[in-house]
Amino acid sequence: MPREEVSEEDLHALGVDLARDFPGSTAADFRRYPVLSEGGWFIAVKHQRTLESVAREPGPLLGPIILASDGLDVN
Amino acid sequence: MTVSLKDLDDGQFTERYGADRFTATVLASRMRYIVQHMCTGLLNNAFSLILRDWYDFAATISGPPEQNYPMSSVSNSLAMFLGTMSEAVRNTVEEYGPENLRPGDVVICNDPYRAGNHVNDICFIRPVFAGDRLISFVTLRAHQLDMGGVVPAGFSGTKRNVYENGLVIAPTLLYRDNKPIKSAFNLIFDNARYCALLLPDIKTIYANLLLGEQLILESVERYGVEAYLGAIRYSTDVSAEAMRTALAELPDGVYEAEEGIDCDGIDDTIDYRIKVKITKSGPRMELDFSGTSPQARTSINAGILDTKTAVGVALKFLIDPATPFTSGAYRDIDIVLPAGTFISATPPDGAVFLYWESTGPVLLAVFRALEKALGRKAVGGDYGSLNIHNANGVLEDGTPWVTTAQCGGEHGPWGATEAGDADSYSVVYQANNLDPATEAIESELPAVVLRKEYTPDSGGAGTNRGGAAVLKDTLYLTAAEHWSSPLHTKSPSGLGVYGGKSGGLGATWVFHADRGDVVRRKELIGTADEVYAEATPVAGMLNPDTKCIDPDGKYFYFASTPVWHTKPHAVFRYLTNGGGGWGDPTERDPERVKRDVRDEYVTIEGAYRDYGVVITGDPLTDPEGLQVDEAATRKRRAEMAAR
Repeated sequence: MPREEVSEEDLHALGVDLARDFPGSTAADFRRYPVLSEGGWFIAVKHQRTLESVAREPGPLLGPIILASDGLDVN
Repeated sequence: MTVSLKDLDDGQFTERYGADRFTATVLASRMRYIVQHMCTGLLNNAFSLILRDWYDFAATISGPPEQNYPMSSVSNSLAMFLGTMSEAVRNTVEEYGPENLRPGDVVICNDPYRAGNHVNDICFIRPVFAGDRLISFVTLRAHQLDMGGVVPAGFSGTKRNVYENGLVIAPTLLYRDNKPIKSAFNLIFDNARYCALLLPDIKTIYANLLLGEQLILESVERYGVEAYLGAIRYSTDVSAEAMRTALAELPDGVYEAEEGIDCDGIDDTIDYRIKVKITKSGPRMELDFSGTSPQARTSINAGILDTKTAVGVALKFLIDPATPFTSGAYRDIDIVLPAGTFISATPPDGAVFLYWESTGPVLLAVFRALEKALGRKAVGGDYGSLNIHNANGVLEDGTPWVTTAQCGGEHGPWGATEAGDADSYSVVYQANNLDPATEAIESELPAVVLRKEYTPDSGGAGTNRGGAAVLKDTLYLTAAEHWSSPLHTKSPSGLGVYGGKSGGLGATWVFHADRGDVVRRKELIGTADEVYAEATPVAGMLNPDTKCIDPDGKYFYFASTPVWHTKPHAVFRYLTNGGGGWGDPTERDPERVKRDVRDEYVTIEGAYRDYGVVITGDPLTDPEGLQVDEAATRKRRAEMAAR
């Protein structure tokens, strides 16, 4: 499954100070991708070595599943 | 830094949970009592065999939307339901709209893609209001004997899409103001078979939702809403902390494994493989299933939520078996799973029905991946497939009959552990059900259970032995049509661990009456190799001439005959896989091996071959006279060690 690269600007916007929070790491050590966990689906930005999330935004209710009725407008 | 629950002082605890520690614990226990009470009520009053005799249902309590629906309490029942029900409640209520709910409602949903499991497993969700405040949900997920589709009762791996699979119910109101909504009942009863059983069962389910609601409100009246909501958070925090502690004890690293399923219901040309890469760091774990095979062409698929369940059950088994399986167990676990694989199928072509057949290998892949990291704590694999038999026919007076999950190889052995030998008659790891009584089967069906017995030398050898495979013969007295679904016969599912050996392979055969009518002959079909020459293989790795199990033989494809039409007096024989052994078999105490020979788990030949133990005597005519030849055993074990 593809994992998006994350820039230093992205991390900064998330409040991450690499030198303070992940000494020795660079932005290349982080990826953004959907995960299923307690509470459902999230779009997480995670430090790949420690698996620590620096951001977890709620994802679509059904994650990547597209229902046959998705997009149906009965009005 | 996270402070452990036991290290919170009284003030911190009360501030966090809105109740003192004692009250939160009482309420958490009370919630477990409530879901068990709901289940007991359904079990004692159900008419349908799948509820009454199988316990194919589960009850849960979930928190309100502002808490994101934490599932704080689960019944001691079907684990395959418990892992999906937290999402099922959230997804159903969010789509229906929590703002549209009011006291006296019951909302239902059975869509595998929204709520997990299969269409027969309807979620009945009751919002609980304290005054006009929505504070909780009580839910019963219960298997309905039929939900339409092309196969009566539904259990088949040959259905090709959602249209053949059965009725899909999007979130729908079933009761309003405690009154049934006729149109919703009509939707079910205009599509499902065997409705004379479904209707009283649905009313019983409703009654037990009312019971759950009543018991919650009594607790709220006594302890207050804030204490109740705090106890919901506390219950899930307990699970989260227990899993986090267990994860932290595993060595950090990357662990990978593959597992598979025999084939789908179109043909046996596609190799369906699960790939899992587990990354463990500190108290966190990520399981990435990228690279898993695309979704199957028939209803052997599983949904994403079923895969989530299998991951949770595997980890509960391996590292955190002591605390309840609430939604909090997943707090430090992330699952990465693209849509469109056979363990994350999508509609309309990725039909989901025999989902556990595909998520069983998910569980086994986790077992296999973590085996070395676990060391002595590794757990052997189980029999791997429910081998479900689904059949129906008509009695002479025109009454239809149906059997489902009663007369196949639904029950079988587990794998051994550090603690001891494995049980030989249970349900697959992801289930937790009853075994239908033979008397119940024979009183309701034109069927006779002729054999239900263990097979010697089938359990994986080990310091602790894997459970023995179960052989079951069922005679059908009328003509019938059958769907048979043994889906793990190509390779052992009973994984041996920590030096133990894997369990034996299973298979399925049918003995047609024109090849030897057991009713006319008045004798059972034997179990020696020569009887299989008269059998018709249904599935398994078999010698093409003798039809006996042969791991190097030919694969007989389970859906080569998608529907078996049999005349009266046909016999189906199911042999499950054996369970995996734990530890080096040559370290098993010879006296324990002798006891296995006495009890016919192991033959004298198997004791010599697999354990290096030489036993003299005859287990059939003088079981207590068996002796271990200690000198010959030392010699044999020395020979085995030298190889």
